[in-house]
Amino acid sequence: MNKFREGGWHILLLLICLVLLLPVVFMISNSFKTLQDSYHSMLQIIPLHPTFSNYTTLGRQIDLLRLIWNTFFMAAIVTLGKLITGLFAAYAFKYFSFKGKKWIYLIFVSTIFVPFTVIMIPNYLVISKINLLNTAPGVALPQMCDATGIMLFLKAMDKIPKSLIESLKIDGISSHMILKDIIIPILRPSIISIGAIFFINSWNEYVWPTLILKDKSSFTLPLALQNYISSEGGTNFPLAMALSTIMIIVPLFIYLIFQRYILNSISNSGLK
Amino acid sequence: MNSSGSKNKFLTIAYLSPTAVILLVFMVIPILYTLYLSFFDWNLISPTKNFVGLENYTSIFTDSVNRKVLLNTIVYILLLLILNFIIPYFISLIVKFFINKMKNSYKIIFFIPSLFSLVVGAMLFSWIMNPISGPVAFLMRHFGVALPNWTNSSAMAIVMLCLITNWKVFGYNFVLLLTGLGSIPQNIIDATKIDSIPRWKMVRDIVLPLNKSIAFYVLILTIVQGLQYVFTPISVITQGGPYYGSSNIFYHTYLNAFVLYKTGNASALAVITFLVFLILLYLEMKFVEGRMGNCE
Repeated sequence: MNKFREGGWHILLLLICLVLLLPVVFMISNSFKTLQDSYHSMLQIIPLHPTFSNYTTLGRQIDLLRLIWNTFFMAAIVTLGKLITGLFAAYAFKYFSFKGKKWIYLIFVSTIFVPFTVIMIPNYLVISKINLLNTAPGVALPQMCDATGIMLFLKAMDKIPKSLIESLKIDGISSHMILKDIIIPILRPSIISIGAIFFINSWNEYVWPTLILKDKSSFTLPLALQNYISSEGGTNFPLAMALSTIMIIVPLFIYLIFQRYILNSISNSGLK
Repeated sequence: MNSSGSKNKFLTIAYLSPTAVILLVFMVIPILYTLYLSFFDWNLISPTKNFVGLENYTSIFTDSVNRKVLLNTIVYILLLLILNFIIPYFISLIVKFFINKMKNSYKIIFFIPSLFSLVVGAMLFSWIMNPISGPVAFLMRHFGVALPNWTNSSAMAIVMLCLITNWKVFGYNFVLLLTGLGSIPQNIIDATKIDSIPRWKMVRDIVLPLNKSIAFYVLILTIVQGLQYVFTPISVITQGGPYYGSSNIFYHTYLNAFVLYKTGNASALAVITFLVFLILLYLEMKFVEGRMGNCE
């Protein structure tokens, strides 16, 4: 009886898997179809007449390498910036004692979910005033304003015995050395997975690029893809799907390698 | 001792200041400046700003477009709560307590769409639900039914846009909620098995109350993040249309600021959003005690 019921639940769960993944499968498959095939045999997963033509058309219409580089460069700045600031701040919160610690931490962490509309106008004005519109640093800076790293690193530091750090401090070893030679090597898996999450989020970021990047040569992949989607209909879907397929390779690849660590860090972000 | 104390103080400041400076420049000062701008009539470019007092605020509640957008926002919140909170919560309970096999596989697979851009999600749904060339319309034609052009109906557009964010955050919220369920002590659950209490009863009487704190966290996340996530598909597919019918407070703020150049109106909308955010933050800290204080 119980076995029977468990089977029923599995059917539901497998259906959810299909609903979540089939769109992506069709996207990849249709990106290798001609426009005509994508209409007449849209549900055919293996293309009847596989073709690279959508990819070559994209290559002629837009500067793919430049788009990929822009996106990568922006995401790399954001990731490095957030990792470095987050590690230092987490270290201070974990191993230094100072006045008002709890309050400062509370303020830092509360900023995580501040809606972007509350800060977008002043940030746009600042970025334009310091002449960083249409640049990677200009679109990266507002994204670095995120204290998630502190929260995740603090959680990761829980597994390092506090007594170890205390005894190193008593032996007169400097905080820089402890951070460089003890904390960072021990936290390597966490740093990689947190970095991977930051990178993927920034790779997909839409809001700040829309506001800061107006010049086509500074576009990132999500903005380029948006240009292929027409709200009045008439989107060339195989073309848009080819660009999307290019876009998802990087996050998918990162997930394939670091899947276990990434899921662990995501879990930690919700734990107390 | 004294010198090491002041050295520590210096180090504390040195370690905290990178984060503090970024938060100050790109978060705290902007919040205050948005508040300041909300009392002015300005177009983002002109050198002069006209002080108008509370006019930008009163217009939010008197202007019919603003009222429509606020109402839409409430509809969005309710839909997002069902799609992105209640359904993932239900599924996480099933995976945790009602099945034994493949738990981890579901976790890995459900999470995959969270890796992809919402612009990709928006493109995919505008294909799947395309009334002329999409697969759903194609299948429905076989049964002699036509798929209506949903971008012309605000109710259908809102549902579709929510479904796009659901595709993206379902797995993410599922993982968070499943982790929360994992922190419920196993011996409590084993005890209910020995006493042969039905499992749905165990879930209702023991699991749900114990898991209150993380569930509340995901609930807040669903509202605050969900409304921001929905911004992307709105911007890509409907631009708030038909006639503001699928707009919400986030998109309307953006529209006022960067399309209509009504900086004052946009700022007032942003301040209202911020006040709602503060209330939610307060509730979270009250409800989820301990979550915020793990630096000790």
